[in-house]
Formats: sequence, C-alpha cells, structure tokens
Amino acid sequence: MGFDLNRVIRGRVWKFGDSIETDAINPYYRYPTMDELKQHTMEVYRPEFPAQVRPGDILVAGRNFGCGSSRPGLVLREVGIAAIVAESVARLFLRNSISRAIPIFVAPGVAGIVEDGETLEVDYPEAVIRNVASGASVPLRKFPPMIEQIFECGGLPEFARERYLREQALK
Amino acid sequence: MAQTMAEKLLTRHNLSGNPARAGDFVEAKIDGAMCHYHAAEPMHDMALEAGFKDGLPRVWDPARVYVLLDHHQPTLSQKLADENALIRREVARLGIQCFHDSEPGIAHQMMLDYGLVRPGELVVGNDSHTVGYGSVNAGATGITRADMFYVLLYGELWFQVPESVRVVLEGRQPSYPIAKDMILYLAGNHGDDFAQGMSIEYSGSLVPQLSIDSRMCLSTHGVEVGAKFALFGSDEATHRFVKARTDQPYEPLAPDAGAHYANEIRLNVDEMPFMVAKPHQFGNVTPVDEARGTRINQAQIGSCANGRFEDIEIAARMLEGKKVAKGVRFLISPASQHVYLQCLKAGLIEKLIEAGAQVITPGCGVCQPRVGFLSDGEVCITATTRNFKGRKGSPKAEIYLAGPLTVTAAAVAGEIVNPKEMFRGL
Repeated sequence: MGFDLNRVIRGRVWKFGDSIETDAINPYYRYPTMDELKQHTMEVYRPEFPAQVRPGDILVAGRNFGCGSSRPGLVLREVGIAAIVAESVARLFLRNSISRAIPIFVAPGVAGIVEDGETLEVDYPEAVIRNVASGASVPLRKFPPMIEQIFECGGLPEFARERYLREQALK
Repeated sequence: MAQTMAEKLLTRHNLSGNPARAGDFVEAKIDGAMCHYHAAEPMHDMALEAGFKDGLPRVWDPARVYVLLDHHQPTLSQKLADENALIRREVARLGIQCFHDSEPGIAHQMMLDYGLVRPGELVVGNDSHTVGYGSVNAGATGITRADMFYVLLYGELWFQVPESVRVVLEGRQPSYPIAKDMILYLAGNHGDDFAQGMSIEYSGSLVPQLSIDSRMCLSTHGVEVGAKFALFGSDEATHRFVKARTDQPYEPLAPDAGAHYANEIRLNVDEMPFMVAKPHQFGNVTPVDEARGTRINQAQIGSCANGRFEDIEIAARMLEGKKVAKGVRFLISPASQHVYLQCLKAGLIEKLIEAGAQVITPGCGVCQPRVGFLSDGEVCITATTRNFKGRKGSPKAEIYLAGPLTVTAAAVAGEIVNPKEMFRGL
C-alpha cells in the first residue's frame, strides 16, 4: 500500500528524548509476535505508551531516533502512529522506514516547538512542521524523487516488484 | 576533484558512471551481500506482500550472496530450528553458493575469517555491525531487510554519498588492547551520533600500530556513533590478513590529498584514561575511576566488537594467578570457531577456566541476548556492543560497557576498578 506524501497529517504528540534505541521501539527478542510488541513498544521510556497511544498520534523525538540494531518500526504503525518527526534519525532506522514506507520526517528544531499532548501538523508538500495551537513552525527536509517514488510504491520490495514486472514485460 | 574514500568507493560503484560527491544520491552496484537470520522468513513474507507469489524469484548473483546462520546457532528452540530449516530450503532453491550452516560464530567474524570481504569492495549486510569490514578497507555498511530484498534481486542499492569525518589517532599502542576505550572516549566527548550518516576515515600515527583485531573493534563500533562507513586505509597488515584468506584480486581505497572533510577529530591515546559507558546509552561515558566501586554480578567479553583473540588473550594473561570473584559470572564468547581454536591452541581457554570464567559457544548470544540474562537490580560490565535498557533481560538491570581489560579487572575485584590498580606492570 503506497503512502501519499502529499496528504497533510495532523495528530496528538507523544514526545521522546534523544538517542531512543530500536531495543525500546522493537524489543522483538523479548516479545517475538506483533501482538506482544504492541503491548510493549516504547514502554522502557513511557510505560503508559502502549495502552494510551491512539490511531493518528504523532511521535516526536530528539536527535538520533532509532539508533542501535537495524530493526523496522512497523510496530509503531501498527499501534496507530501516523508520523514520526525527529530532530535527526539514525541512518538504519531512516532506511528501514523509507523501505517500508513508514512516514518519517527529519525536522531539526521540532523538539523546541511542541510539547507532549499538543497537536502537530506535518505538511510535506509545503515542507513545514507546525504546532497548530501556537503557530510555531520548523522546516522539514524533503526527500529526493527516488525516495518519494519508494513511498508512492509502498516500500522498496513493492518498488522492486514494479521494476521486475516492467523488465519481464520487455522480454 | 579530490575525493574521500567514501566518494571514491561510490564513484567506482556508481551505476550512472558519474563521479559521486558527498550529498549526492546514487544507485550503486553491490560486490557482496551478507545475510544472516533474516534471510528466510521475513524475506519470504516481504516477497509475498510485494506480489511475488512464489517468493523471491532469484538472486542476482548466487556467488556474491553469503548466508551465515549466526544469531540462532545452535538453536535454542524448535521455532528457531524451523526458521533455520526454511533458510536451508531457500538457499538450495536460490542456488546460493556460500552458506555457513552448521558452524557457530558471528557472521561478521566469519566473513572476515573466510576472506569473503576484500579491500575496496562495496559490501552490504542486514545487520548494523556490517560496518566493521571497514577495518580491512572495505566499504561495508548495514542495510535493512527490505533493502536486502532489493539487493538480492538486482545487486544494486541506493545510497546518499556521505560526508566524511577524519578521526586522527595518535600516540603509542600499549601492551594491551584499548580500541574499546578509544571509541567510548570518542562517543563520550563528541556525542553518540557524531558521525551520523557519515563516513569515518581513521588515520594518524597510531593506525600502523593497531592490530587488525583493534581495527575491527573501532570499525564495528562505527554504527554506535551513527556512521555509514568506518574505514581504515590498507597497509601491510591489511594485505597480510586478506591475502592469507583469499586469492581474489582487489583494488584498495585511499583518499586523495585535498579531499574535503566535514570534520576532523583528534585523539591522543597516551593521555586517555580507561573508559566505561554507564547505563543505558553508548555515549554515557566516564573515565573508569568515576564508576569505581560499582558492584557487579556479571562480566562479559565477546560479540563482533570484542570477541577476538586479543580481547580474550588479555583476559587470560591478566587472570593468571588470579580468580574470578566469588559470585561473579564471567562469560567469555569467542567471535567464531576460528578465534576459539586460536585461543585454544594458545592455551588461553585452560587459563580462563582455571580462573573461574565460563567459555560460551561462539556467536551473538552474550550480546543479543540469548545467553546470560540479567535479573532486576543486577549489574553487568561487558566488552560487547550495546548497553541499552533491557538488552540483557530486566529493564531494571544495569549494563556498563568497557574494554576487555577493564572487564577482567572488574571480574576479579567483584566491582569496577581501575585496571592499573588490579594488575601490576601495566
């Protein structure tokens, strides 16, 4: 399923600090099934998160979000997180998110314009993140066209499939 | 235009044929792909989700895909045995030639042990510590499962050409390994993301004195400071190491004079104390003296960061005539069967066991964690890769990271101490 980068996302913020690791996001070695993961994701930082997160919420983090092992953040999408916005993202987490078309945005300064529980707006077409109540905003970094295409296809395996079918058709 | 090692690497591998400059997005040709336990089930599921109804239809080059069953070897449950069985079927179906199926050890160490990585190559692996092959001048980096799916099909992948940071290491190599102290010092002083998305180039007068084992520790930990690549140049030691393991030709990477670096960091090890990372982040670093007196329940040496001969040798050397403190569990896990055998032939294993250490089957277990879980309130000091909360069981346990010498000193004392106080003549 493709992800439409042109749709503006608006949601309630869950705010986290710096260097949140993939062990906290996706502790699969302790909770191997998605059902279990959904009950435990992010709990080492916010024990109330798994029970209280609601579909459409936005996760805001400091720098180096998703450091550590290479593990996808699919569980965050499963619990309803509509977008991840961080000061900076660890490269493997960023690659993981892009390759599975999970909406993730790098916006230096975002932690300074929004508090936990406030409403944030992610406007990719306009390349801006806004705090809806205060009006404060910071720019977000746009992706190059190749990566926008991966989002459109719904992820890298889907992108691969489209290429494969194109090449087979030419044979 | 003068190029960094990363720019040169991605220029050579750029499918468009254009020179690669920091910041560019390129599609690059891959020389080798290391797959471990993610190879089968998730890959198969991804193939189905993407619409390949019979699974992955092919691999682009069955001679360039390396599958090593490391995280689950030997298996600890039937579920894992079933996963490994699926991997065996997939490897046979896809005709993958290099398959290390029945050998315990860490994939990264086996890639190096078996000469599957050569200088100047662009090698990817679906594990974050793949970056460690930069120790032998290979442009190696961790990628994600979905990236690997694409690589297996096409032998190509997109990259953003990284900026480079030069890390200049100066000083004299002491008679014991200090690579872990160095990377902890760098993370503590410059932040655990000082190389986020960047390519580290290690250089300086210390480098020729560094063993390949120490270089592997420094490159492997590149990912703990965010790096995409963590490269050493190639020298006599590199060529000796590589040529003893492969007769494949290779073309090393070296930076051009005048290449552009986003940053330069200098470290003189003569002035560096022993370092530890306190719970629960890699960058939460202090000199060992500031953690002195912390009682420990478990000590460990192992992983792709510190499971090598020199890490185990220093432990055995220091334990001579000493005993592990009563009640302390000292787990030592060689990185591979090669390393294990090397230690055994050098008489190290006997010394370790006599002193009261436990030797664990090679593999990722002590770091991952599969072996040696911690209970509430327990403290572990470990020469492995990471100290995140809950990484070894209880989120109420505390994990300190340190080099193998500091770990050994703590194992003997039962608490964190400065190795210089414990071992005379250092």
